[in-house]
Amino acid sequence: MHMETKLNESIAFSIDRQVSLLANMTAQFANTLNVDETLRNALCEITDYMNAEGGAVFLMDEATQIITCVACYGATEITGLKLEYGQGIVGKSVASNQGALVRDVKNDPDFYGAVDDQTGFTTKSILCAPLSVKDRCVGAIELVNKKKADELFDETDLKVLETLASSAALAVINARMARALVEQERVKRELELAAEIQRRFLPDAHEAGDTIFGINKPARGVSGDFFDYFKLPDGRIYFGLGDVSGKGVNAALLMSKTASLFRCLGKTVRDPGKLLGRINAELCETATHGMFVTMVAGIYDPRPGCEGLIRLANAGHEPVLLFQNNTFKTYGADGPPLGIVPPLPGEDGAYDEVQVFPQGGSLYIYTDGLTEGYTLTGHPLEAEGVQQILRQHAHESLTTQLDRLVEAVSPDPRALRDDVTVLALTDALRPVNESETKVGQNETDHSAEKDGDWLIDFKFPARPGWMKLARACVRESCQKVGCDETDTTDIVLAVDEACQNVIRHAYGGPSDEEIELTVRQRPGRLVFRLRDFAPMLPPGFIKPRDLEDIRPGGLGTHLIQEVMDDVQYLRPTQGEGNLLRLVKNIDVNKKGTSKQ
Amino acid sequence: MNIETREINDIVIFELDGEVDLETSPTLRKSLLAHVNVGKSVVVGMSGVAYIDSSGIASLVEAYQTSRRNNSGFILAAISDSAMRVLQLARLDKVFTIQATIDEAVSSLSS
Repeated sequence: MHMETKLNESIAFSIDRQVSLLANMTAQFANTLNVDETLRNALCEITDYMNAEGGAVFLMDEATQIITCVACYGATEITGLKLEYGQGIVGKSVASNQGALVRDVKNDPDFYGAVDDQTGFTTKSILCAPLSVKDRCVGAIELVNKKKADELFDETDLKVLETLASSAALAVINARMARALVEQERVKRELELAAEIQRRFLPDAHEAGDTIFGINKPARGVSGDFFDYFKLPDGRIYFGLGDVSGKGVNAALLMSKTASLFRCLGKTVRDPGKLLGRINAELCETATHGMFVTMVAGIYDPRPGCEGLIRLANAGHEPVLLFQNNTFKTYGADGPPLGIVPPLPGEDGAYDEVQVFPQGGSLYIYTDGLTEGYTLTGHPLEAEGVQQILRQHAHESLTTQLDRLVEAVSPDPRALRDDVTVLALTDALRPVNESETKVGQNETDHSAEKDGDWLIDFKFPARPGWMKLARACVRESCQKVGCDETDTTDIVLAVDEACQNVIRHAYGGPSDEEIELTVRQRPGRLVFRLRDFAPMLPPGFIKPRDLEDIRPGGLGTHLIQEVMDDVQYLRPTQGEGNLLRLVKNIDVNKKGTSKQ
Repeated sequence: MNIETREINDIVIFELDGEVDLETSPTLRKSLLAHVNVGKSVVVGMSGVAYIDSSGIASLVEAYQTSRRNNSGFILAAISDSAMRVLQLARLDKVFTIQATIDEAVSSLSS
């Protein structure tokens, strides 16, 4: 009875002190996010309050589960001591989220004696309470030895310590959450900055007039998609669109690299297939952990006489769509995505190109975010849906068409499934009847003694597949100046033969090196200049063969001389290469050939 | 360029269509030689030839010379204006055997 009363009195007294300590500590914790310092202060107060020789606070890194002593008071200094999850009395207390009272450590198998061995301190009795709120445990407070030599910790001490510990735990958890929030905010701000910089990678809306237009709508702040286009000095338009595998920051970084390579290399590499080959080689060189890029690159040629030719290369990307005369045509991938297959040593790894004559139609390139995006019905849009929308809005501007496409897959703009990027190019704005106006001007312009009127500047790879287009250009310029059909056919043949000679003799076979063809009109004649960039050929290297000697080959040079009125092999004024100047006298008024 | 072939009485008839140029002439050459090398007589119908360049003409010359060595027939028939123009420029219009129609070419070889 007597014992019980004494205990009750002591409990009442200690509860009183305990409450005031608790109130004091809670106030301290609430007012600070500097948990470490507050913990140190609290530890002092708790240790003194509990009449312990020493105390320590341990915090657990929730990612690694390593428990570290962050503050000490009294007996020994063990700040920095690291314990594994479940190791020693503290580790066990954290792991089980339960307090521990070890009246006599000598008999406890969990006691981690190494500290005593190092410090020379003799631990007799230990009290340990987890720093926890509900199931989340972030560390523990440990007290060692009562100050009075013969006294040992008891169950009441443990209860008190547990109460104090949970108050401290709340502060630690709050501080950690605050820190995480600050970090999240920081990351968010940085992502916004990154997204802003990414948006600046995209070309200005009307950088190339109304001919080409693109939209990029990222599912998150930053995008793994991009599109770009720019005008080459000769008037052609280079364009590209890419989709990096995966999402998030790593995809966005690879996108930035690919977009930069496109713009930088595109200024000098004027072949889309070759350009993709170069970008692929660069991406393969700096391995990116299995990430890759699907991409389409192309060049559109709106210049007179070039028929709006589009040269396309597709590296593993969704098929490109051409809408022409109310029908759709697709151009699929000819090669693997970029960043997977490095080019063979010594090869440029160029991708195949297709030539598209849009004839006033429009070209659409998009990422799978569009076809796989969910529509209002809850189903993906699919390629059919894309075509349906484009058909519906065929007569509207590119801007409107693309807006309709993106709207279709973003009924809720916040819930985009993937980045959506679309690029569209139309051939409808290319002037078609330019030849008529040109001829008309010439009739009234009598100051024609100056340098020849510009008809065509055309540069193309020295490959047989390009001859058809070269012929179309020459035919166009002949008709433009009013040549009759026979002259036109003859001239086309002669220039074709001259190009073939360049391919065969100057370049020694088909080559990606270029042939530059210029056509100028002078009074009464057409002047063709054909330039290559091969090593110089010795004079007289190409000569016509004796026609009496009937055999295959060697006819070309004869045909050139037969058709043209003047044939000269010259040296280019600048750089390496050979220059062939062909002159054909024309008499537009008589509508007949000047040489029969 | 498009090539269609059929065979009547051991005579192989080629009908060419489109543009015969540096890109397409290797196909024509291979196809012609495959027949003349085994001694077949050949008629090449050229009414659909919109364009032919020296490499196309060279394929015809090579096939013509091979057939001469094999003592088999080789006739160009129904030559389009533009193809004829090139043959004239190359002075080959007097070298090849030329018939106005494929039928005439076939019957001249059959007789």
